[in-house]
Amino acid sequence: MKKVLVIQEDIIILKILERLTRLNGFDCKAIRSLSALNIEDQQTNFDFIITDILFEGIAPLQFVAQVQEVLLHKNLLIVTNMGQDKIKQEIFNLRGITGFYAVPIDLDEIEAIIQAY
Amino acid sequence: MNESSILILIGFVFAVLVIYWISIVISVIYRRNRTKRLQKIEMTFAEIVSGYLYNDPNDPLTLTEINKTLKNVGIKKQNKNNIQFLIGLMIRTQRTILGTNFYKLQKLYSQIPPYRVSINKISSWSWYRKARGIREIYEMNQSQYLDEIFKYRNHRNIYVRREAQIALVVFLGWESLRFLPYLKRNMTLWQQIKIVEKLYDHYPKPELKWLHRAYKTERLFGKKLLMRIIRKYELHAETGYIVDNLNHEDYEVRETAIYCLQTFALSKSKISYVKVLFEDITDPTQQGQLLNYLYHNSEMDLDFYMKQLNNASDDLKLSIAEILWNNGYKEKVQEFYYKQYPAETELNVE
Repeated sequence: MKKVLVIQEDIIILKILERLTRLNGFDCKAIRSLSALNIEDQQTNFDFIITDILFEGIAPLQFVAQVQEVLLHKNLLIVTNMGQDKIKQEIFNLRGITGFYAVPIDLDEIEAIIQAY
Repeated sequence: MNESSILILIGFVFAVLVIYWISIVISVIYRRNRTKRLQKIEMTFAEIVSGYLYNDPNDPLTLTEINKTLKNVGIKKQNKNNIQFLIGLMIRTQRTILGTNFYKLQKLYSQIPPYRVSINKISSWSWYRKARGIREIYEMNQSQYLDEIFKYRNHRNIYVRREAQIALVVFLGWESLRFLPYLKRNMTLWQQIKIVEKLYDHYPKPELKWLHRAYKTERLFGKKLLMRIIRKYELHAETGYIVDNLNHEDYEVRETAIYCLQTFALSKSKISYVKVLFEDITDPTQQGQLLNYLYHNSEMDLDFYMKQLNNASDDLKLSIAEILWNNGYKEKVQEFYYKQYPAETELNVE
């Protein structure tokens, strides 16, 4: 079964994304911060990671870099409240980012990407 | 002071301390329970919204179940604080979602409690509750209450009329500009920005018919608002309106016009018109800003700059001389410099 990891501090977006991925046939792990991960998760190669970039105690770019370094994955989607053009540009400069969606988001776009996988 | 009175005093102080400690304990317990309750409501609401937007065909979530679940976590008429918290969650959620799901949410909100809490707030005496009620209605897109809100567009309280005007923009979009000439009270800069942003978020496609009609407005805030709209939507064909206001008699209107103009590049004919208007501007600072714009956005026009060098105020002369100096007209600047002194004056140069 294809696997997705959703990391969102906002519980409502977290639950919606969890539900969306599950209904599309993915095995979803939904967490509110990186500290909720266990060793097994670090060995899993996720098909998608859908994450926010705004977390306490860590800069957005550093967070993305950390996720890319620590977690095995094939695609990385960013869904965040922090949608300024500058941030978007800097995130894409990091490479390996599949998509960047700033709030307000059209969930159909995310669903289309997941279904096309 | 004898022994017994000291004992009474100690007893009294001790009693006060005990009461104080007990109240702290009660407050801590209350806050802990309250936080737990709010977290539970948030979690339940998240489950409901996610279940409603992506309903599992094998285990469908019905409206009866949704209403029952909400009631069980404390969303009842008598618990006003819980209801207010839920409204906050509803608005937050709707703001984060676009597309078909946005309309699905709108439908959900019309079917779950609180049914009429926001509209009831509008009839309250307190301006704060009134403004809050209007805001909740437009944030949750309950357009059926538009007529109720419409009455408050000229309300004496700035916050109430501000929210009512934003509601008109949210519900009517570009058509709301129709009311601009009839607004009686001033609109602050903050409000203008908010209106422009709301219009852009909800109606990204411009409808010029309404914009052209609004040009008739004589209100200063109206002119400023329209220029900001032209700037936000990058309406290149409408820059004439901004240019026409460059020499307006009001300082702030001119300021807004210069600010908005900086987003656009103008055609040659418009640039020459701006140069004509340049001389009508009475404020040297604003002239300086416009000069800067002209320098960066048009070709070098020696005649114009020489004319300004001889006629403009002293504050501007240095900037004009700098432009000429840096663009290969050193000798013109030198000539102008020497011309200021009579021929017989002994210059302090070797």
